[in-house]
Amino acid sequence: MTPEMTQAPLLSVRDLTIAFGKGAFRNLAVQNLSYDLMPGETLAIVGESGSGKSVSSMALLGLLPPRSATIEGGSALFEGKDLLHLPEGEIRGIRGDRITMIFQEPMTSLTPVLRIGLQLTEALVEHKDMSKAQAEARAKEMLELVGLDDPERRLKQFPHELSGGMRQRVMIAMAMAADPAILIADEPTTALDVTVQAQILDLMRDLKHRFGTSIILITHDMGVVAEMADRVVVMNRGRKVEEGPVAEIFSAPREAYTKKLLDAVPRLGAFAAAAAPRTVVAQPKQVSGRLVHTSGMNKTFRESGLFASKSTGTAAMQDVGFDLDAGETLALVGESGSGKSTTGRAVLRLLELDSGVIEVDGTDMRKLGTNAMRKARREMQMIFQDPFASLNPRISAGRLVAEPMVIHGLSSGKEMEDRVEQLFLRVGLESDHIRRYPHEFSGGQRQRLSIARALSVNPKLIVADEPTSALDVSVQAQVLDLMLELQQSLGLAYLFISHDMAVVEEMAHRVAVMRRGRIVEIGPRQAVLNDPRHPYTRALLAAVPVPDPGRTRGALPVIDAATLPMGALAEVAPQHQVAQ
Amino acid sequence: MVHGSSTAELADTLATSGAARKRSFWRALLASPSGLIGLFVVALLVFCAIAAPVIAPYDPLRMAAGPRLDPPSMGYIMGTDDFGRDVFSRILYGARLTLQIGVIAVGISLTCGLLLGLVAGYSSGWTERVLMRLVDVLFSFTEIVIALACLAIFGVGLTNAMIAIGIASIPFYARVTHSVVLVEKGKPYFEAAIAAGASHVRLIFIHLLPNVVPTLIVIGTLGVSTAVLAAAGLSFLGLGAQPPQPEWGFMLSSSRDLISRAPWMMIFPGLAIAVTVLGFNLLGDGIREALDPRQRQR
Amino acid sequence: MGKFIVQRFLAALVTIWIATIAVTILIHLVPGDPVRIMYGSFQTTPEELEAIRVRLGLDQPIWRQYIMYIGRLLQGDLGNSIVGDQPVLDILLTRFPATLSLTLASLAIAVVVGMSLGFLAAYKRGTWVDVSSMVLAIVGVSMPHFWLGLLLLFLFALQLQWLPVAGGDWRSLILPAMTLGLANAAVLARLTRSAMIDIFDQDFVRTARAKGLPKSIVLYRHALRSGLVPVVSMLGLQFAYLMGGAIVVENVFAWNGVGRLAIEAVFARDYPLIQGFILFFATIVALASVVIDVAYAFLDPRIRYS
Repeated sequence: MTPEMTQAPLLSVRDLTIAFGKGAFRNLAVQNLSYDLMPGETLAIVGESGSGKSVSSMALLGLLPPRSATIEGGSALFEGKDLLHLPEGEIRGIRGDRITMIFQEPMTSLTPVLRIGLQLTEALVEHKDMSKAQAEARAKEMLELVGLDDPERRLKQFPHELSGGMRQRVMIAMAMAADPAILIADEPTTALDVTVQAQILDLMRDLKHRFGTSIILITHDMGVVAEMADRVVVMNRGRKVEEGPVAEIFSAPREAYTKKLLDAVPRLGAFAAAAAPRTVVAQPKQVSGRLVHTSGMNKTFRESGLFASKSTGTAAMQDVGFDLDAGETLALVGESGSGKSTTGRAVLRLLELDSGVIEVDGTDMRKLGTNAMRKARREMQMIFQDPFASLNPRISAGRLVAEPMVIHGLSSGKEMEDRVEQLFLRVGLESDHIRRYPHEFSGGQRQRLSIARALSVNPKLIVADEPTSALDVSVQAQVLDLMLELQQSLGLAYLFISHDMAVVEEMAHRVAVMRRGRIVEIGPRQAVLNDPRHPYTRALLAAVPVPDPGRTRGALPVIDAATLPMGALAEVAPQHQVAQ
Repeated sequence: MVHGSSTAELADTLATSGAARKRSFWRALLASPSGLIGLFVVALLVFCAIAAPVIAPYDPLRMAAGPRLDPPSMGYIMGTDDFGRDVFSRILYGARLTLQIGVIAVGISLTCGLLLGLVAGYSSGWTERVLMRLVDVLFSFTEIVIALACLAIFGVGLTNAMIAIGIASIPFYARVTHSVVLVEKGKPYFEAAIAAGASHVRLIFIHLLPNVVPTLIVIGTLGVSTAVLAAAGLSFLGLGAQPPQPEWGFMLSSSRDLISRAPWMMIFPGLAIAVTVLGFNLLGDGIREALDPRQRQR
Repeated sequence: MGKFIVQRFLAALVTIWIATIAVTILIHLVPGDPVRIMYGSFQTTPEELEAIRVRLGLDQPIWRQYIMYIGRLLQGDLGNSIVGDQPVLDILLTRFPATLSLTLASLAIAVVVGMSLGFLAAYKRGTWVDVSSMVLAIVGVSMPHFWLGLLLLFLFALQLQWLPVAGGDWRSLILPAMTLGLANAAVLARLTRSAMIDIFDQDFVRTARAKGLPKSIVLYRHALRSGLVPVVSMLGLQFAYLMGGAIVVENVFAWNGVGRLAIEAVFARDYPLIQGFILFFATIVALASVVIDVAYAFLDPRIRYS
């Protein structure tokens, strides 16, 4: 795999330095970055947010946001030319032809008012002097190569008629149509569901071999790195931390930062041998008994308005039901649109069900009046996905944490003040943070704040909706540790909603897999994760990238949506139920 | 905590942070050219309105204070009108009327619009749909037609014109409030507050309103411009201020037949309106930039 | 798209329907006796006033008045004006062509000047071109229509004598159309600029640039075509503003349109004429917004193909 050292690099970046802003506001985004890209290799540039990994690649193509970022120095030699110092006309000739790019957000990366055909052909017409007919023939060929059916029709479609995965295929077709020397892929699968991600990664690998393209893969996901990369550049805060062949980086990282990063990556299978999450406190609080019972929950979102027909609507939940014991974690996993978040909200009665039963501590939540419901909320709190948006920006951290106590009249005065401080310390924040406002905190700190807020009223149940998916992996690991520790010392039950199988394995006692509004498999974690019975669960698990370059992910099982069993649950083993 | 079960220290915390926030707001406002110029113009207008009796060289209503239709000179720096009144003095006193128009008209439309938009946005369901449909329809009638309809009901006059303009702008404020409320309601922090068990009162007054008010401050400031323009327009048409009120729009209308003989009668009141409106527009833009850190970086 | 057009059309009908209710209520909100107010200046005996009241149907309960009003409306009868006792619809229709030509001419000026200025400013964002066009635009937004009109009149008609002060031919249309058009061009320039700046920051513009397309293609094919969607959607409102602005501008230039008529009617307290005007205005604006919405739907494939 490793290219021979005698070979000349295709692209040679030296001392690249990029700054945002000017004068007192100057902020170095990339400092003295150097690397080589060999012909035919995939080089992964990995790092957490703010590492400068995206900026450095945009700079190569002259795509930095004008007037805010400046290239302060360095060179990037490609085919005898310095990309960083080419006149606009010349870099434009390379861009989209010799070096192409795909981006993170397939939903917004195609021009909404233009047909796919035009968007696929215009670069070919521009760079390759092809006639319209030639370009269209090539476009059709490419659409077939990226696995889209009926290319003839696709060419006439508009972006909004395609799904996210299909759009990313179009982006790839667009990028590869010119047979580029280098493909820069900026987080190409981050916005996609895991099964779609696996397909797109397979496609990229396939096309790379077919065309002999070199790839610069920018990603934060170590699983994707392990699966795709030949060599790796690790970046942190604008500097290169470490560089090496992928096997070496994973097996023998030299730098502490790389080690830390790798340690923080959740690995599916790491806890396969254990029946329950690891114990992180010396004396876990002993609780028992059923806390939550739900059954037959149905919810259909209907279009509102004068002209909406009554019959249509998307079924977000169909006949969903599960139990949750005190002190236990039930994970709801699934891809976007599976109804897992809707289920979490329904349990807290943040949305009204069409039908179904929700009992918390023996009380039927759906029968409670407004006031009784408000009081009942004390027992059940929520942690949201987006730590930036789920805290009111105009309320200080201290008041935010105290708010649930104020609402439920639990304490006041000096006592509450002490309790707030105690909670801040409890979740790993400092007491002078009390005075700050949400925007003054980092993402991880905000999530700690949310946790402190949820804890303030001593709830029995916390619904955590993707609590770490907006966070960098190293921060994610800390937040997950905190959640485990709190659960065990306080006897909390979690309804843990996640799309990440590895995180689920680390956190859950039991797992429920959701697809299109239904639970298709539910059971103890070992049963569901180690011995999946439903074809969809199997596909989901097989698609998870393995953060170990030595192990290759098996071939993706082909699932036929039409024949997937989506009926009622039946027990296949003790407590292990699968849709029939 | 400031609301009710407050603790001394946390309230103090809030106060200091609030002060820091305010400081950075003012700094940002004064740093933007539009904010600075707008603030200056508005301050000048307020000064003129307050100090009119002191600065004005003549009684604005006194006829034959000087010769008729006298061009600008040392004695009458903006000339005199067809009744021999001093144009400069009339413009200074006109500032009082203009401020009054701005405050009353915006006061009416802001209060009613805020209430309507908040009720519609917070209630959702049929209340929202019916209210907003109605507001949209009224909005499409345009402000001037609604104002004309109001004047047809109340009869002409400057006070009636102010009220008419206030009423005419309610749909606009209601729409803005409604859309901001919807945006804020859609943010996770609002759901987080519900999940924490917050009551309606808490949701509205502690979570929604503080996040809606900044936008309304901007809209209200810009709205003063619209109100001043509209009132001047109505007075120009003879539906607002009546003789001998020194209202700028009305002064313009009486200049119409004398444009060639006494262009100063047309130029100075028009300039006064334009500068005032520009001032409020700039101030509004400046406040918007100062409140929105993302805009600041642009 | 058929469904969309039907929806917009029904919405326009709702607007017109609400307008009919509004104008029926209007006359009852007048403090005092509307008949006396309307005919107060005429020499009338109490008996004659009572006869008028019966003729206008004002002695009936309000719901019956409304039904009668709708009934007559469906026959194209908006009643007769107090002053001159002529059919209101005839008066409005005689005067409307003048207003329409003024409004359309102003719309053309506003669109051409405003959109190009806004587009240019967005494209040259941060440069002196941007700054000076936006200074120009905010000054334009702050200028009272009637003052701008008087200034233009003073300059072009009185000082330079290039154009007539008033009249009825196309040459006398230039000044009022410039007045109304330029004032609204300023508004449109600001709206276009912010819409285009949003577009320039979109991911798909970055994609187009990453494809190595010439600037002109990125600009016109990708950015401008997408930017037209939000900009065109604002034109319905612009048309309404222009119609409203025309009321004032017509009075500055003695342009004999429905706007001038409306002011005369308010002065004369000619309620049938005022009612007719409001209903007529609402109808025109509603229909114009249907036209604009259809144009907008045509530009946006997300609506066109649904």
